[in-house]
Amino acid sequence: MPKRKFDPLPTAAFQILLSLADEELHGYAIMRQVEQQTNGRMRLGPGTLYSSIQGLLEEGLIEEVDRKAEPETERRRYYRLTSSGRKLARTEAERLADLLRVARAKNILRGDYV
Amino acid sequence: MSERAFTWLVRLYPAAFRRKYEQDTLQLYRDRMRDERGLVRRVRLYRDLMVDAVLGAPQAWRNSYAEASADTLAGDVSGLPGFHLLDQEPLRAGAVAIGFVFSISALVGFGLVMRLPAPVCAARAGATLSPIEAVMDRLNRAIAAPRNDAGERAAVDGGSAQAQLTTNDAARADKSAERPLSASEKGQVVQGVAENLTAHYFDRQKALATMERLRELEKQGEYAGIVDGRMLAERLTADVRNATGDPHVSVAYSRNAIPNAGPARPTASALIQYRTVMLKQNCSLEKMEILPGNVGYLKFNSFPDMEVCGASFHKALAQVGGANAVIFDLRDNTGGFPETVAEVAAPLFDRTVAWYNPKQTQSATTLTPAAGSNLKMLKRATVIGETTGGGGHVGVFHRVDEHFGIGVPETKIINPYGGPDWDGVGVEPDVKVKAVDALNEAEKRVVKPVGR
Repeated sequence: MPKRKFDPLPTAAFQILLSLADEELHGYAIMRQVEQQTNGRMRLGPGTLYSSIQGLLEEGLIEEVDRKAEPETERRRYYRLTSSGRKLARTEAERLADLLRVARAKNILRGDYV
Repeated sequence: MSERAFTWLVRLYPAAFRRKYEQDTLQLYRDRMRDERGLVRRVRLYRDLMVDAVLGAPQAWRNSYAEASADTLAGDVSGLPGFHLLDQEPLRAGAVAIGFVFSISALVGFGLVMRLPAPVCAARAGATLSPIEAVMDRLNRAIAAPRNDAGERAAVDGGSAQAQLTTNDAARADKSAERPLSASEKGQVVQGVAENLTAHYFDRQKALATMERLRELEKQGEYAGIVDGRMLAERLTADVRNATGDPHVSVAYSRNAIPNAGPARPTASALIQYRTVMLKQNCSLEKMEILPGNVGYLKFNSFPDMEVCGASFHKALAQVGGANAVIFDLRDNTGGFPETVAEVAAPLFDRTVAWYNPKQTQSATTLTPAAGSNLKMLKRATVIGETTGGGGHVGVFHRVDEHFGIGVPETKIINPYGGPDWDGVGVEPDVKVKAVDALNEAEKRVVKPVGR
């Protein structure tokens, strides 16, 4: 199998995958969603956002949604997770959960984290 | 940051990215500008945009921008190969850089192989050189490329055969060539030139007068300011030509020592090579045919050595022997051996034509007029075409000293019917037409009387 572009998965790409987990979003909405889910720590700029989106599209992890219903003038591209994108996000989350388990076992984490 | 500045930042990204996402990035910029107001947030936004433009670029350049449809088609089924459309991937910057480096090094390599200083030689070759000057030129060039000498030696073309150098001679480039000429050396050169002229020039009276003139010029200090061998040779050439009125005399200078062996005979290997080349070219006999109306047509492009090509030429002449008329096409003929001219012309005279002591082989360009002139004067042939080149006097190379030589016309071709010889003038054709039309004209002229 050819080496995947997202191995390891960059934080920005992982955050985008997570942001699309519930609903289809356009670029700016993804940016806001990511900002929200990281408590304002990560604000994606246009360069990082769209180059990540393009990379995820090329790997088939997300796909563009056809929204013909919207008027042509304010048309934005919407994206949604594909099944392989969801699978990859789950794998990454599990990897982080493993890390978390180890950190907790070593008493690195304080009690207020899950 | 203005929108204009932002567009400049986006230029850091690949063209394919901009084509697809320029509008989207602008839209995001506007959205954030709209939503993030106040000094602190604005400053933060500007910093975000700058950092983002730099950090996002590597990912943007890693993307292939191929249409994703094929990927999504195959990507969902694990275990099956995915298909990528390679032709739509952009050329990577690295590939362009490597291509640039490769083409530059290929160019440089080609230049080295071709020894780029060549333009000097090309310029010189364009000028018209007398055969003697050409030989000296070759000697001078032998310093730069002594190996070429072997190739030059193989070319036996009349006069040049007399001043051939071996590779050893060329390698023995004298160091003294670099230092300026002393007064006594110049005196010896002038003396040598004068002596060679009186000894070899066909017109002894003129040679003596020239000797006087040269001594006079030397006494007047005309040569005092010259320190360079080549310049001295040029000056002497001009003076000798002035004094004799003969443009075929020339004094030449060679940075390499000129061998003292006297006129060299063509080496055995050169003769073998000449023989091979001649036989391969069918002795320069290009065409032999019988045209309608029993007119023989013979085109040959040189007068080669009869020892090598005698059989071929006699056979060709015999084949047109039964024709009512013969057209000799000499338009591309470069000249050659006087003996051959006599042999070719012989059938037209019922005897071999006597020649005025053509004891030396001649350089190219001289003999085609000779052939034309002989036949024309004796009214044995009709010359059709353009006026010929006009090389008549035969120059022979003589060594003056280590570095100087002189080409002296020793033989004057005498027109037995009086009047001027064709040297410097050429032979006027009986029927003047352009060279390209000459064959048509000839055919018309020979066929008409026969058809009558």
